[in-house]
Amino acid sequence: MTQSPNNSERHPLCNTAEHVFTRRQLLGGSTTGLIGLGGLGGLVNPLFAKEMKSKEKQVLFIWIDGGMSQLESWDPKPNTQFGGPFRSIPTTIPGIHVSELMPKTSQIMHKLAVDRGVSTFDNSHSAGVPRINRGDPKDRGVIYPYFGSAVANLMGPGNSGLPPYVWVKPGSGGFKYQDAGFLGPKFGALAIGEGEPPPNILLPETLSSTNNADRNSLREFANQQYSQKRPPKFSEAQNFVYDTAQALMQKRSLFDNPDPKDVARYGDTPLGRDMLIGRKMIEAGVRFVKVNSYGWDTHGDNFNAHASLMPRFDQAFTAVVEDLDERGMLDHVLVIAMSEFGRTPRINGHIGRDHWPEAWSIAMTGTGIKQGAIIGSTNDDGTWVTSEPHDIGHFFHTWFNALGIDSEHTEYINDGQPLPIADEECSPIRELLS
Amino acid sequence: MKASLSFFVLLLTCSLSEPLFAQQLHPVIDAQIEAATNKPIAPPSTDSEFVRRIYLDLVGQIPTSQEAEQFINDSSRAKRQTLIDKLLQDDRYSRRMSEAFNVMLMERRGEDPDWQAFLSHSFQGNIAWDQMVSSMVFPDEQNEQTRGSAYFLTKRLEKYGQNPTDFPGLARDIGRMFLGMDLACAQCHDHLFIDDYKQADFQGLFAFINNSFIRRDTDYPAIGMKPVKTKLAFNSVFEEGEFSTGPKLPGLDEIPIPEFVTGEEFATPPNKETKAPGVPKFNPLKFLAEQLPTQANDSFNLNAANRIWFLMMGRGIVHPLDLHHSDNPASHPELLQLMAEAFAAHDYDIKWLVREIALSATYQRTSMVTTGLDDAKPREYRLFHEKPMSAEQLMWSMITATGHLQHIPDTTNTSTSQTDEEQDQLPLGLEHIRADFLAAFANPPREPETEFAPSVRGALFVLNGPRVLDWLESRPDNLTAKLETLETGFATPLYLAVLSRKPTQEEADKFNQYIESQSDKSTAIKQAIWALLASNEFAINH
Repeated sequence: MTQSPNNSERHPLCNTAEHVFTRRQLLGGSTTGLIGLGGLGGLVNPLFAKEMKSKEKQVLFIWIDGGMSQLESWDPKPNTQFGGPFRSIPTTIPGIHVSELMPKTSQIMHKLAVDRGVSTFDNSHSAGVPRINRGDPKDRGVIYPYFGSAVANLMGPGNSGLPPYVWVKPGSGGFKYQDAGFLGPKFGALAIGEGEPPPNILLPETLSSTNNADRNSLREFANQQYSQKRPPKFSEAQNFVYDTAQALMQKRSLFDNPDPKDVARYGDTPLGRDMLIGRKMIEAGVRFVKVNSYGWDTHGDNFNAHASLMPRFDQAFTAVVEDLDERGMLDHVLVIAMSEFGRTPRINGHIGRDHWPEAWSIAMTGTGIKQGAIIGSTNDDGTWVTSEPHDIGHFFHTWFNALGIDSEHTEYINDGQPLPIADEECSPIRELLS
Repeated sequence: MKASLSFFVLLLTCSLSEPLFAQQLHPVIDAQIEAATNKPIAPPSTDSEFVRRIYLDLVGQIPTSQEAEQFINDSSRAKRQTLIDKLLQDDRYSRRMSEAFNVMLMERRGEDPDWQAFLSHSFQGNIAWDQMVSSMVFPDEQNEQTRGSAYFLTKRLEKYGQNPTDFPGLARDIGRMFLGMDLACAQCHDHLFIDDYKQADFQGLFAFINNSFIRRDTDYPAIGMKPVKTKLAFNSVFEEGEFSTGPKLPGLDEIPIPEFVTGEEFATPPNKETKAPGVPKFNPLKFLAEQLPTQANDSFNLNAANRIWFLMMGRGIVHPLDLHHSDNPASHPELLQLMAEAFAAHDYDIKWLVREIALSATYQRTSMVTTGLDDAKPREYRLFHEKPMSAEQLMWSMITATGHLQHIPDTTNTSTSQTDEEQDQLPLGLEHIRADFLAAFANPPREPETEFAPSVRGALFVLNGPRVLDWLESRPDNLTAKLETLETGFATPLYLAVLSRKPTQEEADKFNQYIESQSDKSTAIKQAIWALLASNEFAINH
């Protein structure tokens, strides 16, 4: 990359006279209204043609909330003092084993990359979840965006007409701004809760599609009349949100009952349902899709819980990776599966495992990622990382680079304050990059 | 131009307290704005533009079609001033100002009836801004009409999410709201990019409030204060050394902390029976109330004038509103200084300043771009620049346009007596309507609403939400019902009701032909009303 980290010139594409944004908007103050969804990511500094090519890349981010046990998944230690009751099974990569709770995943292992040497710093959910999701940046007095909001901002919405960040989850849906941090609410997530469409996305039964076309045609006529004599800024922003809203309405089939064959493959579970919606969202062109699974905080009865949880993950995760692979989409979709931390090797008095950020695993595949790279290692008991430990900052660098963003030379500018997009003391993990 | 400017400056500096000047700030505004540019300046707004804008700004809603038509057809020369004065006396003026200041001061943190009562009382009585600020930073709990002002402090001390009590946030907001200085980045060190903002400024503000707490013994918002015994110690993350400060406003002297013998700190000791906390003899908030809202405090005056200017003009002379410092200069520094001094000299009379700005040619210019104005920048005020509408303005305006006000049931005392059948339906009371509009159009908590920030959520609310579509159903005397009585000529009453203007010929043809060509005229009328309600011209204050 040729850009200078100190170059604070505005983006050359945003320089025309009719696009005079206020400084705060241009630089992405907390109330950024206009560049946000519609522009090229006004915060990126600078954003040059080379990176523009990355704009078709997408992310499927699978968030396993509460903490998946690395010992019952990617880094089993059978027959050791902390190994637990499950066996390990071979995978499609010779010499690499995973827990017997993920038989389907074991058969696509050559398509994945796994780092077993993850070592992070926060062992509480309340602080750990946001710290991990934000890449654990240094405290600079601002609230950093979650990865989804960061990608939405840095890469823009693409050409789908849909919001750049969609979060598929159990529980409530709606417009969730909290992930966006200082980027401002525009970079928050459109949440699909319980597979239900977002509020007001469906045309009321009282209106036919002809009615809808008629009224919008009159609305657009009125807008043309108005905009003839007004500066374009407000009208363009307003038109953009209506166009996005209508694009969502057009995609209502995303919320139709799924094909029973898909349900059978993804699993008739909340995670299966949401992973399937996630795939459809990726196919529809959404830039960043977060699929959320809850309930992994297994302080008690860890082994029965993982015996129940892991097969659901195994099935849905394998199905989505295979589907994306079959459609040739792993070329441009980055897939990540992770929690906020791993679980303690030591088994507690409730036959559970507690929080363990010191040594755990993250899996990924897709664009920019070297398939079959199983890197990092832990000691025989699984208690500590024996390879070079990788913090979440390393992964943010790695993923940004996989998406074509030079993470070491790209900054946000927030109210004049330059902010690195990933922890500047970390760097990309080259062994994971293709 | 220059001559008249000097004249007014001279007049101002010589005789601020003269009653003559009391009526005459608006020529100064225009002279200053016009003298600052040599480029073309937009002509006055049309009557239609003006009537819509002034209703939105002074009473928080568009005019009814009768009000708009009456004004447009009025041929008297002084009709704009007459309308301004009429609206300033309108009951809806205090509602509008309460809404606008609530958004500005609380940034959508929540709602509280005592706080609302404080705002209503203040704007109904045109209470001076310095008194309002004094009430907010040092509430008088004996005064039932104003004690809700404590909500400014107490709401900010409430915990939200997993965060600790945000004392720094409260100190920051006192700086932002009343001094126009966002000192957040100066909490841990002198500001890195704003030379004027020092860590000692932040810490001095912090020392006013870091011993305060929310009182739990009252059913209204009330703030308590622990005895303050020592200065606040702080470190810089960049500089070596130990620092300390007592309560101190930027640019003013530090307030000495008196020493009391242990046990003698309280004027009124804590009462274990009533659970009332003790009242300390030394309360830094009392000094804050004495030193902050004063004529001698330039920052206070400049911030106040700038924020009221923003309310009317959509952009601060210093913008963003909370970044007054030398690297973010005012677009018109002299004008801001003059307005601030005049506002202070007029005993912080908000209505007076609002009126003067409304009377200015600057405020009354058209927002339409004509020759020579393509490059007009908001900071130049050569054109009236479009402004966003608040959730409240959108709500009242949609109610007004559709003629729905008369059909909103009074649910203040009947909320518990709904039948089962009613509970399945859309709740019709104003409080539910308001909640829906806030959910669709308001910013999230702690986000200032100063920029235009339309959202997909808001668009979907208008496109498909049941609320607005319900108001299009024909009901006695509403807009749909009125248009249904017509055989032809729908467009003029439609445009007057929704956009406060008469349609052009092209617009009239388009809408009349559409409605006349449809076999289901009633549906066509609803479509036409909706199209204008959903239009950019409606959603923007222009």
